[in-house]
Amino acid sequence: MGSGFEISAEDIRVFLDEAEELLQSMEAGFLRLEAQGGDPETIQEIFRAAHTLKGSSATLGHQRMAELTHAMENVLDKLRKGKIAVTTELVNTLFQCLDILKEFKDEIASGEPAEVDTTDMMRRLAAFEPQGAAGSPPPVPGPGPEQPSPPQALPPLTPAQREQVKGASARGLQAYWADIALSEEAAMPAVRAFQALLAVGELGEIVLSVPTQEDVENDRIGKDLKILFLTRESVEAVAKALEQVPEITVRVLAPYRLDGGAPAPGPVAEAHAPAAPQPEPAVSVEHPEGADGGAHAPAAAQGNNVPFKMSKGSLRTVRVDVEVLDNLMNTVGELVIERTRLQQVLSRLETEREGDELSQVMSSALAQIGRLTGSLQEEIQRARMLPVDNLFRKFPRMMRDLAQRAGKEIHFVMKGEETELDRSVIEEIGDPLMHLLRNAVDHGIETPEERIAAGKPRAGTVTLEAFHEENHIIISVRDDGRGVDPEKVRASAVRKGLLSEEAARRMPDAEAINLIWMPGFSTAERVSDISGRGVGLDVVQKNIEKINGSVEIRSTRGQGTEFRVKLPLTLAIIRALQVELLGTIYCIPLGSVVETDRIPTTEIRTVRQREVIVKRGQVIPLLRLADVFGLARPEGDEEPEEIFVVIVAVMGRQVGLVVDSLIGEGDVVIKPLGRFIGEIPGISGATIMGDGDVAIILDVPTLVGSVQEEVGRLEPALN
Amino acid sequence: MVQEQRSEQQAVSQIVVFQLENEYYGADISVVREVVPLQRVTRVPRTPPYVEGVINLRGRVIPVIDLRRRLGLPAGHTTKSTRIAVAEVGGDQVGMIVDAVEEVVRVPADAVEPPSSLMAQLDRDAVLGVAKVDSRLITLLDLRRILVREDRKSPVTPHSR
Repeated sequence: MGSGFEISAEDIRVFLDEAEELLQSMEAGFLRLEAQGGDPETIQEIFRAAHTLKGSSATLGHQRMAELTHAMENVLDKLRKGKIAVTTELVNTLFQCLDILKEFKDEIASGEPAEVDTTDMMRRLAAFEPQGAAGSPPPVPGPGPEQPSPPQALPPLTPAQREQVKGASARGLQAYWADIALSEEAAMPAVRAFQALLAVGELGEIVLSVPTQEDVENDRIGKDLKILFLTRESVEAVAKALEQVPEITVRVLAPYRLDGGAPAPGPVAEAHAPAAPQPEPAVSVEHPEGADGGAHAPAAAQGNNVPFKMSKGSLRTVRVDVEVLDNLMNTVGELVIERTRLQQVLSRLETEREGDELSQVMSSALAQIGRLTGSLQEEIQRARMLPVDNLFRKFPRMMRDLAQRAGKEIHFVMKGEETELDRSVIEEIGDPLMHLLRNAVDHGIETPEERIAAGKPRAGTVTLEAFHEENHIIISVRDDGRGVDPEKVRASAVRKGLLSEEAARRMPDAEAINLIWMPGFSTAERVSDISGRGVGLDVVQKNIEKINGSVEIRSTRGQGTEFRVKLPLTLAIIRALQVELLGTIYCIPLGSVVETDRIPTTEIRTVRQREVIVKRGQVIPLLRLADVFGLARPEGDEEPEEIFVVIVAVMGRQVGLVVDSLIGEGDVVIKPLGRFIGEIPGISGATIMGDGDVAIILDVPTLVGSVQEEVGRLEPALN
Repeated sequence: MVQEQRSEQQAVSQIVVFQLENEYYGADISVVREVVPLQRVTRVPRTPPYVEGVINLRGRVIPVIDLRRRLGLPAGHTTKSTRIAVAEVGGDQVGMIVDAVEEVVRVPADAVEPPSSLMAQLDRDAVLGVAKVDSRLITLLDLRRILVREDRKSPVTPHSR
C-alpha cells in the first residue's frame, strides 16, 4: 500500500463501474418516485445511491461531483423526513442533476473537462430546503456550534476497543490518534471528514472516531474530527495521506498510549502536528447535534472498530475486456483447426497401419479434444452474454422525457429484462430500439384527447419485451396506439414518388404497411423533435440486418402496432448452410433459409427476362450467385440438368439462390473481412472452416433487396 | 534526443528484400510483420483484380494481394519459393504475394537514391527510392501507399445484370 493518495487507472475503472450502477439505480428510483410518490424504501434507496456516490467521488477527488451529490443528498434527506413533498419540479430537478452527474462521469472516463456549471443547480437544490435558504453554496450542514469548538479529547474506550489497542503491537501495528480541524470555508465539511477517514482507513484500522463514521456519513459533524487508529505505516505516511485531503488541518497526529484507562494523548504531541493545542483530559463527548444525538453517542463510538473499507462488489465476479474474450475465441478457433489437421494425420495412420493400437489411442484422444474444445467454445460464448437489462434500463427515462415533450401520457412497461444476449448484439441494437420506441411515442400513441375520443384509456401503453424463441431472441416494441393506416401509407408513398398510383392501389394492405421500410419514407405529417431526426425506419432495418437480425411490423388500425426484432443469440457464431460455388465455400445464415431444392433446368421459367421457379403456386425469382458476383465459369462447363437452389426469405420475400452444390450445415464463427477489403454488397464476412480454409458469408437481406429493387424498377415500365 | 534517434534510424534502415519478376524489391522491416508460405487463397467477389482473396492467418482472416498486379508487372507463376509477406499498415494486416523472399539487409541512408524516371513502369508514388546494396539494386516500396485502396472513394462496382 502506498503512502499517498494516488488514483490508479484501476481505481478509476472501479469508480466508473460503481458510478454507472449508482446512477442507474438513482434513475430507476427517480422514475419510481415520480410514478408512485415517495415511498420510504425508494427514497432510502436513492439517498443511499447519492450518498455512496458522494463518498466515492470525494475519494477520487472530484469535488464538483461530490458537492452536487451532497446537495442532492440534503434534498433527499428532507424528503425522507417528510419536510418536503415529491413534486414534478423536484423530480425534474433531480433528473437534471443526474444528467450533470453523467457528464461528470464521462469527464472522469475521458479525462476531458465537462462544460458544466453546477452553481445554478446547487441553488435550485438549495431552494428545496424547507426553510427556503436560497444561498449560493449549500448551507453548512449540521447545526454545529458556530464558534470553533474547543479541541475535545477522545471518549473513553470500551473494553473491546482497549483490547484492540493493546493487541496492536503484537500484530505489528502502532496506535495513533489524530485531531483534525475542518476548515470553516469548507462547503462540505462532512465530505472532507469522510475523505480523511478514508485516507486513514486505507492505511490501517480505525478504532474509533469522533464523530463516528456513521455520523460523518449522515452529515452530523462539527468543526473537527478525531481519529484513533492502528497502522503499520509511519506517522509521515499518515500525514502525507491526510495532506491530500483538501480543507482540513491536522492539529495533532501522534502515537497513542493507553495510560491506565484514560486516553492520554497530550504528553506525546508530536513535532509533526503543527501548533498542536493542548488536548483536554477526557470528557464525555458531546455530539454536535445535541439532544437526539446525545443518547446515540456511546453506541456510535463503539460501532466504529470495524475496518474502514469501501465495498468493491462481490469477489465472485471479475470484469474482463471483451477483447480478451475475442482473443480466447480466436485461440479456440485455431485449436479446432489444429485438431482437424491431426484428424487428417489419424486417417492416414489408420489406413497405413490398419487401425493398430497407436491409431486407436490417437483416435480416442482426438475425440476427447474435440469435446473439450467444444465446451471451451461454449463457455467463452456464455461469458459474452449479458442480460438485456443493461440496455433496457436507459429507456424508462428516455420514454418519460419523450412523453412529456410530446404531451402524451405513456405507461411504459418492460418485460424479460433478464433475457441474455451477446454483448456485441446489445451494443448494436441500442440505437434501433431507441428509434422504434421514439416511433411508438411519436406516431403510435395518440394524444390523451384523441384516446378518450376513441374510447381508450387516457394513457397509452408502450411495452418493450425480450424473450427467447427457438434459436433467436425476440425484442418486441408494441403500443396500443392508432396503428398504421395502410391508406395513409399508400398515399404518402405515392406522393413521395416511391410508387406509382396504380401499383399502390393494387398492393394488398399487408404489403402496403411494409412500405414504411422504404428509404425516404416517413408518415409524419409534421416534423417533431422526437422522430424527426432524419433517420428513417429504413436505417433501423439496415442496422438490425447488419447484425443478422430482422424486423417485422404487425399493426391493426386503431389497436396498435408491434415491431418484432429478431436477433441471433450471438454475433460471433451463427448456424449456416454451407454451399459451394466455383470452388469456393459460401455460408448462408440458416435464419433466412426456407428450404433447399434440386430443380431440373426445364422447370425454370422466365418472367420479364428474370428466371423464376414456381413452388406451391408461388413465383420465386432466381438469383444466380455466380452472375451476381461476376464470377466467370471455366470454359466448357456444361449447363447441368439440375440446379441447386437455396430458397431464402427476408420480410416474407422469397428468392432462390442458385449454387453449384450443397455441403451441409454447421456453426460458423463470423470474422470481419477487414478494412482493406471493406464492405461488399452481398457479403457480410468470412469464416474459417474446419479444414482451415476461409469461407465467405453471404448477406442475404442485401441480395434479396437487390432483386426487389430490380422488380421495382421493372414495375413502372409495365404500367 | 528524439531528433538524434530519428536521424539514426534514417541513417540505417532494415529492409526485407524480396523478388518480383527477377528484380529486387524491399520494404521496411517495421512494416513487414512476417513471411508465410503460400496457402490456399479464398477468392472474394466484387474486389479489385489485384486482390487475390483472403487467407486464414492463425485464426484471423486477412486479405492477400497480388503484388505483381498491384505494381503493374506482368503476371507470374506460382513456384516453390512463392511466399506471402504479411505487412501491417494502419493496424490492418495485408498479405502480399511475392516470388521469393531473400533476406533482411541493412541499408545506409546514403545508399538510397530518389526514384528515377527510369522506373516508368512503376507507380512512382509507390517507390521511396532505390538502394544499392552489394551491387544489387533494391527498389524500396512505400507499403503505406501501396496497401491503401485507391478505389476507396468509389465503392466496388455493383453487379451488372
